[in-house]
Amino acid sequence: MNQKKILENIKINKSYPGVQALLDVDFDLEYGEVHALVGQNGAGKSTLIEINAGSIKPDSGTIIFENKSFKYFDPDQSIEFGIQTVHQENKLVEELSVAENIYLYDLPHKFGFINYSDIIKNTIDLLNSLNITSISPNSKIKDLSFTEKKLISIAKACSRNAKILILDEPTASLDAKGKNILFEIIHNYIKLGHSVIYISHQLEEIFEICNRVTVLKDGKKIATHMIKDIKMEDIIHEMIGQFSITLYNRKQNKLPKKENDIVEVIDYHREGVVNHISFTVAKGEIFGIAGLVGSGRTELARLIFGLDKKDSGKLIYCGEDITPISPNDAIKKGVGFLTEDRKSNGLILIRPIFENISLVQLAKNLDIFLNLSKEKSETNKISSELSIKTPSNYQIVKNLSGGNQQKVVLAKWLFADSRILIIDEPTVGIDIGSKSEIYKLIDELTISGKIIIIISSDNPELVSMCDRIGVMKNGQLIKILEGNDIKEENILFYSMGTIKEKGVD
Amino acid sequence: MINIKSIAIKNKNKKQLFNSQLLLVFIIILICIIATLVNKKFLSLNNIINIFQQIAVLGIVSSGVGMLLVAGEIDISVGNQVSLLGVILAMVIQKVLGLPDGKNIIPGLAPFAIPLAVIITILSGAFLGFLNGIFVIKTKAPSFIITLGFSLVYSGIALLLTNGASYMLFGHFETLGRGKLFNFIPISIFFFLLAIITAFIILKYTKYGRFLYAVGGNREAAYVSGIKTQKIILIAYVIVGILSSIAALILISRVGSALANTGDSYSLDALAAVIVGGIALSGGRGNAISIFLGVILIGLINNSLIIMNVNPFARGLVIGLVMIIAVTSNYLSNK
Repeated sequence: MNQKKILENIKINKSYPGVQALLDVDFDLEYGEVHALVGQNGAGKSTLIEINAGSIKPDSGTIIFENKSFKYFDPDQSIEFGIQTVHQENKLVEELSVAENIYLYDLPHKFGFINYSDIIKNTIDLLNSLNITSISPNSKIKDLSFTEKKLISIAKACSRNAKILILDEPTASLDAKGKNILFEIIHNYIKLGHSVIYISHQLEEIFEICNRVTVLKDGKKIATHMIKDIKMEDIIHEMIGQFSITLYNRKQNKLPKKENDIVEVIDYHREGVVNHISFTVAKGEIFGIAGLVGSGRTELARLIFGLDKKDSGKLIYCGEDITPISPNDAIKKGVGFLTEDRKSNGLILIRPIFENISLVQLAKNLDIFLNLSKEKSETNKISSELSIKTPSNYQIVKNLSGGNQQKVVLAKWLFADSRILIIDEPTVGIDIGSKSEIYKLIDELTISGKIIIIISSDNPELVSMCDRIGVMKNGQLIKILEGNDIKEENILFYSMGTIKEKGVD
Repeated sequence: MINIKSIAIKNKNKKQLFNSQLLLVFIIILICIIATLVNKKFLSLNNIINIFQQIAVLGIVSSGVGMLLVAGEIDISVGNQVSLLGVILAMVIQKVLGLPDGKNIIPGLAPFAIPLAVIITILSGAFLGFLNGIFVIKTKAPSFIITLGFSLVYSGIALLLTNGASYMLFGHFETLGRGKLFNFIPISIFFFLLAIITAFIILKYTKYGRFLYAVGGNREAAYVSGIKTQKIILIAYVIVGILSSIAALILISRVGSALANTGDSYSLDALAAVIVGGIALSGGRGNAISIFLGVILIGLINNSLIIMNVNPFARGLVIGLVMIIAVTSNYLSNK
């Protein structure tokens, strides 16, 4: 055992039904280092940190903490050892003060009453030691800015004698000033001999703050490098792997473009979320939108569909202004939106398939009475066209597999004869077989003249499906990739790499 | 891949509503048998007609509450609506006819007293429903809280209007509540059946009904699908208000006078009926047959307790227990 190491993972395995989340992963953390963990979505970063935080038990493998080996940690153990995770979203109690939040788990008390003067004093000491001077211990969390909340989350983690801090995307939505304070805190923290596991999609930060980097891909560890010995391009290559996968081969590329047969997305803007975005998509073309979660992709789609209020934006179809002002308006103008979370806002899970399929079409027309027999035969037709696997269309949607549920969502928008389809995460949570069926369906729709916009975190999917890909970062459309430039590494480069950011706030 | 276990779950879900209705029918038959064994008069045609007459008002109120529940909303002010609307009805009839002392407010309007009172009552009902609905959709507060508040408001207005006394009808406007078709079937039963059939048609055969299920099943998904969810809910509350007004017409006509609390008990009885009938509080499930069976069951319990000479104070106890059993068995069969 090496005295330099505080934590070591040896041959960690974890599988979920159908997925090997981690396969024989080794990882180690030294005293006084910041160790970056990078990889694409689904690479296994979250699983690995949750195993070390004690919230997930590995199937096999060994965890060694300060020379003692364990099969797994339970959550109390990892807290006792001083392993603290700061999650991406804050877990503070908005209605309580800074001091109360920091000491919530261990409030100093006398005779059963909270000793407020003690916790205020402790908080001041703690914040001073971390050089966070602008926040009063008495402020309520709800009155703090996003950056301040993040700093308090970190201070809270430090307060519990943490020897290892796990920071999950700590700089997401943080402004430049907040980032500097954060980095300073990290510097001071490791000087005490403590260690940090740093997860980030912002590769440039890793070069600024980290000592080593471990690259994961598809649940496997690719390599660990000293930061000073590696270039960003090499990390991106390792994240992608040697061979790029083609998930689907399009039957035909672009239809001959006619001047007018395009939809123009013009200057969509919502302060702080989506920054003046414009692009065009031609009939028969698939336009992809790539970017990290939180880059404003889904928000842009919601603005276009009229779900959220926008500050500006126009949607022009073949020269005609069809800017939707609400979902109802959007469906009447032939715009469809397949949301990323079909269970929460795509489907009525407890209702039958045929009711789900006909819903948008009903919302579009002016009838009062239903035509049940016509509805039955027409929904049966579309359900067999999309080969939705079910004994009958009276089946409630909840009982279908993910792939078949997604086909129901697709059927619903096709049944309403949508001209423009915005598909957010078309294949998330779907098995391989259904995936390729969905790709085939989308491809056939393009051939029939629909305009398709695909938003996805699955970069191989975008590369296989799209004619052009717009890459979003911090609410901006920073690059549109075309032709031979459509490569996974370019998507990663533009969405994670060192492009100079403009302030979004 | 579809495995055997998932097929079993599918069939279970498909038949669940049907099964719970079958169970209700079974319980209803059981109660009939027990009541008949205790008292042979129970199954007589007169008593059966009597039962239907007794549940007519409850049935009308429950039809509205049931549809609202399908949309995932609740209205616990219906009973107070019925009370207030009854007071308005009786008050208008009294004032226009100049009862009891002959001083009518506008001379010459007397011949139109009844139609005028009926129209005012129904419009007021629609307005009360609109008030509930507009506050529920605009504040986005739980409808339980909003309608609880309004139940106190309506009850307060009724008390202020009556000053604690009752408005007598002095024999006017009796046909609706006491009249019988062919001297045999009470007219109120027709209104009850009409309300249930209307609810059946709305829920099964109209686009509006389909949207009620969608809104109750998953409001966000319904909105993304282009359904104007707020409008759907507002209309449902207005329908509830109108049905409350029809219930008030029949109830006050039968009783012959209006007190500030004549209909108050229908708030909870209607909720009990639709829940026992199998309409889930979470919305998106149930149908008009559920409402009908629930109302019948509550009516039967009331009637059989009387006919079996059970202490009338035990009524609440029995209905409460039945409701708890119904909800528990639903919960267990969903697990």
